[in-house]
Amino acid sequence: MGPLVANGIISENTNLLLAFFIGIGFGFVLESSGFSSSRKLAGVFYGYDMVVLKVFFTAAITAMLGLLFMSLFGWVDLDQVYVNPLFLRSAIVGGVVMGAGFIMGGFCPGTGICGASIGKIDAILFSVGLFVGVYFFAFTYSWWEKLYKATPLGGKKVSDALGMSDGLFALVLILVAMGMFYAAEWAEKKFPREEY
Amino acid sequence: MNPRVILAVALIPLGLIIAAVPANKTKQFRLTAPELLQETATGSQFMQPDAVADMLVKNDPSLQLIDVRTPEEFAAFSLPRAINIPLANILSDEYTDILNQDAKTNVFYSNGTVQASEAWMLTRQLGYTNNYVLEGGLNYWFANILGAKEPSSVNPSEEFAKYDFRKSASAALGGGSVVASDNNTAPAAATKPPVANKAKKKVTGGC
Repeated sequence: MGPLVANGIISENTNLLLAFFIGIGFGFVLESSGFSSSRKLAGVFYGYDMVVLKVFFTAAITAMLGLLFMSLFGWVDLDQVYVNPLFLRSAIVGGVVMGAGFIMGGFCPGTGICGASIGKIDAILFSVGLFVGVYFFAFTYSWWEKLYKATPLGGKKVSDALGMSDGLFALVLILVAMGMFYAAEWAEKKFPREEY
Repeated sequence: MNPRVILAVALIPLGLIIAAVPANKTKQFRLTAPELLQETATGSQFMQPDAVADMLVKNDPSLQLIDVRTPEEFAAFSLPRAINIPLANILSDEYTDILNQDAKTNVFYSNGTVQASEAWMLTRQLGYTNNYVLEGGLNYWFANILGAKEPSSVNPSEEFAKYDFRKSASAALGGGSVVASDNNTAPAAATKPPVANKAKKKVTGGC
């Protein structure tokens, strides 16, 4: 049956319409859980607020389990699901740059737009900076092209690289996530800040 | 209870289940037998030889001829710019990017139409579009395109137009003197078989 677009069950346009509604829902939940505050994201770095880490890890393992079970029941063909191609070196460099930006700005692109839409000045400035960065990268692309395209590894999955089945890797990731949640709550107790 | 504990109680058993069961490797057929029958009945899988010849003469880049005969037969003779995907290897992963795409028009051909139709049926059942069968196969191609015969004078003028087109197409495609083949073997010609283009088309999408 799935993926829905690849198998022509819904059209590209319906897909965009669904994405629009899901996006509104996502933004609403982000805002109502307090992610529009820059302290939420910066807190992960300083250890006093690990909600972001917990939320995104929970989302990842939920989606992962959902896909694996849907594949097991024959509802989705995993071979047709797009796997983002991996460029190892640029992923590391990009991760460091983005991470530094997240700590300094206190937003990620999603929460930045979320904060900007409720009128937070820091979030508006962050979003402006985001576009400046995007244009800077686009116009100076030739400077970065070599780094950007270094070590292309294709659509590689961790489970393939480790030589284990997708299901076994899922279990390992769930256990890792539980360990991280435990460590996160320990960190929140260890580095407390006053309520805000 | 701590939400972390609730989450662990809910997710770890699911993880254990998914780690224990084997992955689902079954391939779904995306066309049911009645749907396939419907398509076969309308004959929409066939591509007319004149249309193919026209695209070949015009060097239409959207045309991709695919020879489904054996590599030996392909080496002996092939149509211009055709690539060889033997019927036995049609399901190989190597060719998925060529067969499953929506940019080019793939036209399968064999000596008759049996093998080409089999290739079309297999790929169609996998849900691939843009694959067609050269109507009449190479036998018809030799008899009527490369060896076009002048119609007798009682024929309507369309027949003469068709003949003129086929005669010039045949000249452009290096035919003319080739004789029509018998049922099972295609005659050898001096056409050098091009190498199959293995360049993979990147899938696009993602976040």
